[in-house]
Amino acid sequence: MLIELKDVTKRYGEGELAVTALADVEMMVSEGEFVVVLGPSGSGKTTLLNIVGALDTATSGLVRVNGVDITAASRGKLFDFRAGTVSFIFQAFNLFPGLTTRENVLFGIDAAGSDADPDEILESVGLGNKGARFPHELSGGEQQRVGIARALATGNPIMLCDEPTGELDFETGVQILELLQAQAGNGQAVLVVTHNREISRMADRVVELSSGHIVSDGPPAGGKAPVAELHW
Amino acid sequence: MRTLRLLLRWSWRDLRSHWAKVLAIALVIAIGTGGYAGLTSTAEWRRDSYDLNYRDLAMYDLRVDLATGSFVEEGDIAALVTAIPSAASITGTEERLIISTQVDASSGDEIVLSRGEITGSDFSEGRPEVGAHFAHTGRLLTADDAGQPRVMVERSFARFYELPDTGELQVSGGRTVEYVAQSTTPEYFAVAPEGGMFMTEATFAALFTTLETAQDLAGLPNGINNLVLTLAEDADRDQVQAELETALTSLPVGATVLTRDDNLSYTSLTTDIDQDQAMFNALAFLLFAGAVGAAFNLIHRLAEQQRREIGIGMALGIRPRVLAFRPLLVSAQIAVLGVALGIGVGTLIGNAMAGIFADFIPLPVWLTDFQYAVFARVAVIGLVVPFVASAIPVWRAVRVSPIEAIRPDLTGRGSMTGRRRTVGNSFAVIPFRNLRRTPRRTALTIFGIAAALTVLVGFLGIMDSVFDAVDTAEAESVGKEPARVSVGLDGFRLIDSPEVQAIEGSEAVATAEPLLTMVGSIVAEEDIDVFIEVADLSDGMWIPTMARGELASDGGIILSEKAAADLAVSVGDVVTLRHPQRAGLTSFAFVETEVPVMATHPHPVRSLAYMDLSQAGLFNLVGATNGMNLLPATGFTTADIQQALFPYEQVTSVQSVTAVTDAVRDAFNEMLGIIQMMVMVVLLLALLIAFNTASINLESRAREHATMFAFGVKVRTALRMAVVESLVIGILATIVGVAGGFAIVWWMTQVLLPETLPDFGLHALIGTSTLVAVVIMGVVVVTLAPLLTVRRMWKMDLPGTLRLVE
Repeated sequence: MLIELKDVTKRYGEGELAVTALADVEMMVSEGEFVVVLGPSGSGKTTLLNIVGALDTATSGLVRVNGVDITAASRGKLFDFRAGTVSFIFQAFNLFPGLTTRENVLFGIDAAGSDADPDEILESVGLGNKGARFPHELSGGEQQRVGIARALATGNPIMLCDEPTGELDFETGVQILELLQAQAGNGQAVLVVTHNREISRMADRVVELSSGHIVSDGPPAGGKAPVAELHW
Repeated sequence: MRTLRLLLRWSWRDLRSHWAKVLAIALVIAIGTGGYAGLTSTAEWRRDSYDLNYRDLAMYDLRVDLATGSFVEEGDIAALVTAIPSAASITGTEERLIISTQVDASSGDEIVLSRGEITGSDFSEGRPEVGAHFAHTGRLLTADDAGQPRVMVERSFARFYELPDTGELQVSGGRTVEYVAQSTTPEYFAVAPEGGMFMTEATFAALFTTLETAQDLAGLPNGINNLVLTLAEDADRDQVQAELETALTSLPVGATVLTRDDNLSYTSLTTDIDQDQAMFNALAFLLFAGAVGAAFNLIHRLAEQQRREIGIGMALGIRPRVLAFRPLLVSAQIAVLGVALGIGVGTLIGNAMAGIFADFIPLPVWLTDFQYAVFARVAVIGLVVPFVASAIPVWRAVRVSPIEAIRPDLTGRGSMTGRRRTVGNSFAVIPFRNLRRTPRRTALTIFGIAAALTVLVGFLGIMDSVFDAVDTAEAESVGKEPARVSVGLDGFRLIDSPEVQAIEGSEAVATAEPLLTMVGSIVAEEDIDVFIEVADLSDGMWIPTMARGELASDGGIILSEKAAADLAVSVGDVVTLRHPQRAGLTSFAFVETEVPVMATHPHPVRSLAYMDLSQAGLFNLVGATNGMNLLPATGFTTADIQQALFPYEQVTSVQSVTAVTDAVRDAFNEMLGIIQMMVMVVLLLALLIAFNTASINLESRAREHATMFAFGVKVRTALRMAVVESLVIGILATIVGVAGGFAIVWWMTQVLLPETLPDFGLHALIGTSTLVAVVIMGVVVVTLAPLLTVRRMWKMDLPGTLRLVE
């Protein structure tokens, strides 16, 4: 099991101002799974992603990722964990504006210490001829492809995607989802957080959150649909 | 009104969250404006102070000097003066007797033996009519002291050796005199004895006494050799000088009429004002420009951080002027705080400068009020710059569509970054890309730090150049005989006279060589005064280094390289030497003789010249001497020779050949106070700029850092990148700062000083210690500044920062 969450609770603030973002969450994700975490704003889905990615810590419960109990890990260990286990794809891309496309991918390689070939990765996301471009010279879809390429470059087994199509138009969003699905096909666990119910149709599993609780966990209602059938 | 209250409340929160940056940027402005005011106003209060003191103590306008060793009866010169056609424009005259002496101010174990001068003036009316005194300790002499062995000792000498307020001294001939005061007089506001160098209080003891006492000590009843006079404000000084020169030709001895502008002490101080001020102005401008440039850059970046919020405001339909209010309010806070702190910084710098000058120059009164008018001029710029710095990014934000303002401003980021294929680790690339993607911002940061460093290099480099000249002078004076001792006699003596033989025969002396020291000038479009040492240049114990040329059998003069350059002559050329020639037993007349330049020497003092003793006939002084070079006998030191020769009345000075250079070095060492103050100011400025830059970088790149951390990049790696970025800025700023500083030093030594202090030849130089200091400040301090942000990196809210949608 690549991701294992047991009785995970996350609270922000104290006393009367305390807010429970996640409550007693239990979740497992295996290699090659494409999991969509669905829920409205404030449901706790991003908190869940941050905890799995060790950007945030659970208030209680167990979080074991790739065999590592990250609830008990030191701050320093968490840096190592992130470098070697997870890779992020952000809604706002978060590319380095001073680096070219290729250099952004190189960053992913350097951060994880992998030996991937940046040109090969760029080729795989359809940007083989745009390695010398800077982020501002690319379209939104191309920028997110660079984000995916950077995540792929790490070679890490888990890909954490926070609203990866949130900034993109439908057609570009679909292309990005196809790319992500392909990574799951390559054996990576892909965890996509979104409020877009349509995206959940293409997932292997859909985990639905509401007010910090998992209200459902299973295959998409109506079965897994091909990307081409998605509409939003 | 409600909107205004909201904006004020919002701005107050801005201030609270940015208070450290606001304070730091305000301090940058304060250092720029206050430093400018403090540095550029020294001329105002120095000039005011000098004018007041020169007026109150009646500095002379004209001075009559008889030829060396010549004396006339009391009243002789005064009679000539009162008979000139312009006598009505003379407001005061003072006949004086000035005699060379040695002064023994030793006390306990400390031996203080110095050459010096006794100036006798008329105290019968309570104080001399011209050249009055101010007592820093003790009491002024009065008419009752006439003829008594009482003197006043010059304040700077007394202070240098920490003499008691009053006490006893011995003068040549073993006479003991009581000094009743440590005093000063306008001619000694800066100690620069005739034929000597500026700021030589350590090696020259001036004593002031009544005319009667001086005559008694000199054994010259009724003798005088000097007259000083003051003129009415509307007097034609040149006319009076010319009339005096004509009148003095009737004297049986040679006489010269000098103006106060010929007095080295006076000109050193007065031209020093403009010379110092020119340097201070240049450095103040740089300090100000650097601070303003840095403040502009930092405020600009602070305002730029609000671009997105401005975009949101525009999207909500808020008018640009309302949107501009908040960033401009931050600017107002910075501007007001900066200018308020600037008054404090300016006052501190002004007071520190005044204190340092007061230490050097014992003026009775210093007028050192803070120059608000000077400050006001730059304070206006200090007030305006923050608004302009804020207005530009606000204007850029409001002139585009709201959505463009909300989006990250990527315009032009690729244009300067290059597209070369990256070789190696991307962490190594990021710092350089960060610098290149914002070239204007990088340039302004570099400029701000470089300007501060230029100021530092300017100050330190000038000191390096001076000390280099002093070292050259010392090396030249020492030659192969570091133990050499220079002896001055009270007049011209025959070489085989008992007085000279007595010196040669002293048990402390191993070898003695007679020499002549003469004062003259090289006639040119602008005459150059020369002090000619006439000595055995073929086989003497000391021979000047000949940079060019060599000793010629048919004679000639050895000029300093500086003099040769200023006269545009080279070895083999002929110059006209105006020099004294003995006309009678004790009288001299000035004559002009054509002499070839046989060589040049490297001593930085332009006026030093040398001739071989075989040419003593030029002065009609064959077989005579007025000075000697001695080597101490085995087991004896310079101090032993000083003590051994002190009882000899004919000896007026005994000093090591390095005494003058040591004194100059000591004097300049005292100036290190100004340097140290400027180092602190510049260090603070560089640190503030570097810290603010690192701090704003951290904020504006928060998302990039958060992304790095999300990918597992460690804080130390991100910090290393920030340090590398700062290192590059530091290195570039240091290179620019050193180059700028060298330009300042070059300008000072090659353009400014030759005009104001033509007697010194300085080379533009930046010493190793200066370079080390600048590298420490420019590279090390700037490089390490990002480390101050480590806590904020550690505490960064990663999820919150990453979720920010721009």
